[in-house]
Amino acid sequence: MMEDQEEKGNAENGIGRQKQVKDEYLLQFLDSLDGYLTLLDSLSSTLSQGWLELASARHAMGASRINGALLDLKVHAAATSLKVSEQDVDSMESQPCFTLCKWASSDNGERSSGEEKSLSPQLRHRNNSQLSEEKVSTRTGTPLILVDQQQRQKSLSVFGVLVSPKLRSAQLSFERALETLVEIANLHTTMLSMFEQVHKELENTNG
Amino acid sequence: MAGRAQIPTKSSALIAMIADEFGVVLLCWDTVTGFLLAGVGNVDLRRKTNYLIVDSKTTVKAIEDAFKEFTTKEDIAIVLISQYVANMIRFLVDSYNKPIPAILEIPSKDHPYDPAHDSVLSRVKNLFSAESVASGRR
Repeated sequence: MMEDQEEKGNAENGIGRQKQVKDEYLLQFLDSLDGYLTLLDSLSSTLSQGWLELASARHAMGASRINGALLDLKVHAAATSLKVSEQDVDSMESQPCFTLCKWASSDNGERSSGEEKSLSPQLRHRNNSQLSEEKVSTRTGTPLILVDQQQRQKSLSVFGVLVSPKLRSAQLSFERALETLVEIANLHTTMLSMFEQVHKELENTNG
Repeated sequence: MAGRAQIPTKSSALIAMIADEFGVVLLCWDTVTGFLLAGVGNVDLRRKTNYLIVDSKTTVKAIEDAFKEFTTKEDIAIVLISQYVANMIRFLVDSYNKPIPAILEIPSKDHPYDPAHDSVLSRVKNLFSAESVASGRR
């Protein structure tokens, strides 16, 4: 009888632990869903600001200076790219983790080292001072992102040498939108992963 | 480990864009322009871009072809698509289930984001409504 009671206790503990795991998956899923919707709302605001600034720049500079004919169709690599790494969720699953690399083109290193060789010391000093560092976050351990002001300026120069401050503001707004999008992408993969877990648990319960 | 999906890691991947700009008057490509200003534009040696601007003359087939191309290219990690454009190829977007590239539906200037049409959110909604029907029957 004692053994029966012990077995019954163990079974109840097992069921309790299973329920705890299911609740955990469900909570994580709901958290990621909430984060996803919040970030999408934030993205909509940022994009609206960007569109407004772009429209203001067009008003200030004229429609002929901001139009489709000016898009740069010469061969060039993206100055802003993504780094994809693998993140372990549990022993059976991994999911991608996206990191934004702003204004960090692949030939940046070559170009700057090439320029260092050919430039005089004074010019070299000026070139280095154009590189600025932006700390994204030190508390969370996010690494420093080197922002190449020359790359940013090059992107604007498609629309001429002297551009409206509104165009620069629009550029910053869309950069912020990109950062939000990368956060959304990471939450998106977490949400999908949790969704699959919850789906499996529900199927096991029904089966 | 058996059954573990392999995620290809990349040190420099691209963001592709399929953005709509519908309008009669001027300059209907603000979303793509904005992201190009932010530096995501890429033109390869074959002069192919990592973006498609959708206007009134763009056919559904062209959008489908661009979607298939961007989702099969190895150097693309995220595909941004205006939700309005995604609705034109909804079947294709909903049937996509790979982790990379990630497909993100974004609002456009003339069409705000609608959670009811989002591919992932509608899948979630279907799951929970199917579950509530099943539990009701039990």
